[in-house]
Amino acid sequence: MKSLRNSFAFILMTVPMAVLFFYFHTWPALHGIFLSFTNWNGFGPYHFIGLQNYIDLLHDKQVRHAYVFTFEFAIVTTILVNIVSLSVALALNSKIKLSRTFRAVFFLPYVLSTLIVSFIFNFLFSNLIPSIAQALHLPFLAQNILGTQWAWVGIVIVSVWQGASFNTLLYLAGLQTIPEDVYEASNIDGASAWVTFWQITFPLILPFFTINMVLAAKSYLQVFDQVVGMTNGGPGTATQSNTFVIYTNGFGGGELAYQSANAVVFLVILVCVALIQVRLTRGREVQF
Amino acid sequence: MKRYLGFTSATVVATLLLATGCGSSSNSTSTNGTSEGGSGGNGQKVTLEFLQNKPEVVNEWNTLIKKFEQQNPNIQVKQINPPNTDTTLQADLAKGQVPDVVAMGADATFIQMAKNGVFKDLSGAPELQKVSQAYVKMLEEEVGKTTPYAIPYTVNAVPIIYNVELFDKYHLSVPKTWNQLMSEAEKIKQEGGTPFYNGFKDAWTIAPIWNALSTNTEGSNFLKNLASGKTTFSKSDVTAANQLRQFVALGQPNQFGVDYNDANAAFANGKSVFYAQGIWTIPVLRSDNPKIQLGTFVVPATNNPSQIKMVSGVDSLLAVANSGNATKENAAMKFIDFLLQQKNAGQYATIAGLFSTVSGVKNTDPALTPLQPYITSGRVVDFDDHYYPAAMAAGNQYESVLQGALSKNQSTPQLLQQLDSLYQSAAAHQ
Repeated sequence: MKSLRNSFAFILMTVPMAVLFFYFHTWPALHGIFLSFTNWNGFGPYHFIGLQNYIDLLHDKQVRHAYVFTFEFAIVTTILVNIVSLSVALALNSKIKLSRTFRAVFFLPYVLSTLIVSFIFNFLFSNLIPSIAQALHLPFLAQNILGTQWAWVGIVIVSVWQGASFNTLLYLAGLQTIPEDVYEASNIDGASAWVTFWQITFPLILPFFTINMVLAAKSYLQVFDQVVGMTNGGPGTATQSNTFVIYTNGFGGGELAYQSANAVVFLVILVCVALIQVRLTRGREVQF
Repeated sequence: MKRYLGFTSATVVATLLLATGCGSSSNSTSTNGTSEGGSGGNGQKVTLEFLQNKPEVVNEWNTLIKKFEQQNPNIQVKQINPPNTDTTLQADLAKGQVPDVVAMGADATFIQMAKNGVFKDLSGAPELQKVSQAYVKMLEEEVGKTTPYAIPYTVNAVPIIYNVELFDKYHLSVPKTWNQLMSEAEKIKQEGGTPFYNGFKDAWTIAPIWNALSTNTEGSNFLKNLASGKTTFSKSDVTAANQLRQFVALGQPNQFGVDYNDANAAFANGKSVFYAQGIWTIPVLRSDNPKIQLGTFVVPATNNPSQIKMVSGVDSLLAVANSGNATKENAAMKFIDFLLQQKNAGQYATIAGLFSTVSGVKNTDPALTPLQPYITSGRVVDFDDHYYPAAMAAGNQYESVLQGALSKNQSTPQLLQQLDSLYQSAAAHQ
């Protein structure tokens, strides 16, 4: 009797959420997959064209370039974010003065909207940095970096600045799970700080490293706000990420069905990347 | 065709209300009202969603709307002005929400929408007689049908704008040919000045000068031949691309890192002599620097002054959505009638810095005087990009290609080859 009432309560709690999730997430996704086999331009009539969209994708230079940019950007940013956030977490975890204040300060960028951060950095890159560089006679920096072939560096800087805060938080949580006695033991054995880090700290926070790599890779493969806020894909198509191409060409260019096909391909690739990452790191995690 | 009406949840809610009999009197006030056409008699309020694509004239539209609402207390007009109007509009269409009245440019998005029956057929509407027939035809040609789907309201033009004070300082005269313009620009550069200021970080700002150069040099049958595969950008636009590269070489060093707004501010504050932008930018320049004295001349795109035509397109057209709701459509036409009154049309055109299509309305701005004869005598040519395939013209696609090629200083064949491949892939997804 009790279990029946319990399960009724659980159903009451989960079903509305499941319905909402299906209607707003699963259904549009299925609809997109369905559309990818048509030639719909967003409105008006359409008909089925089979796999034509997928075949065209193979020959589309713009889409190929967008994939290359997205992966290059995601790899560079994921690595940098993890290096920066692990270093910051180690520093914040040590016994320094005002460590709580610093933790709050370092978490602040995460609270801000990515788009707003991008607009602010856009202003810094466009106006502030060039005028400072001009005053200091540094011709390389006198150009707005976002208008040159180095525009992607600008986007990486913003992404790392903002993204590192969340990963720092996860690493901090990881570092606090390590018991003190392990460090005492290594201290008695005379291990240097370097050895302690690689032999003790890092293996013990490896689960956190895995989750951070997966989360960072996932979010940077979907980079969108930073591109819209800073370069709009420019100069030329240099910083067009795949999500950006899907959005602008899909809605703005009347290629809704074609870009749906692109989105389906992208979904498959993202799932594969996540699976590979989890496989690669799973065997190496240790317990204490 | 009407499948896009079936999507919105608002429609579902409205239908439910009707079905249960609760909505009989209240539905006419809802903004998404799906009430039947006959039910909208006198005394009922109609709300029109009015989408317009020019952020710089939001206040002017609000003034006109206020005046209209005072004269027509039964009609309420709600202005929407989203950033990236074209993309927003297409996203709305995919969701099944179309604004009731649209004021937008005659661009690829408009053409797509008109072709797909989003807008009401205005054949026989008396409003069409009040405006310049040349531009009514231009709109029909763009859509590719002899049906008028929109009324041209204001038209723009692409000249070269100059700062009169600096122009006199360098002792220049209005150039009549391309070579003259280039030698004047070289002279300015040698004397330490900046001839052209460009805001090419926003890719679309390359479009005006590109259209002025290409339409004048590629031959009048280019677009037809391009569509039928007889020519390519690589074959026909070599002169235009060469001239564009020459032009970019005379821009300020940081031109790909400055956006439209910053370029306006810089030119308004005397950073360069010339500014190659559409006339829509003149009100912005004056608000950046109220004291600036501006002049304009038609882009001397070739060395044969008698052949030069000015690029001029429909800047704002007025179109009514095919909602199937007669009350709304009548109210929309009333709003358009109001806008076409000479006084209102003239007031809007002057503040927006554009030419009005309404017969008898002239723009009195002295800075635009040199361009008026071209409009009056019809020595104008439409923007090329209004005829590019939607996937090439919308979303700054081809401008991005130009921006990329120019910022990397690629050769003319490289630049044109990229336009061709963009054209081919865009045409394939029509």
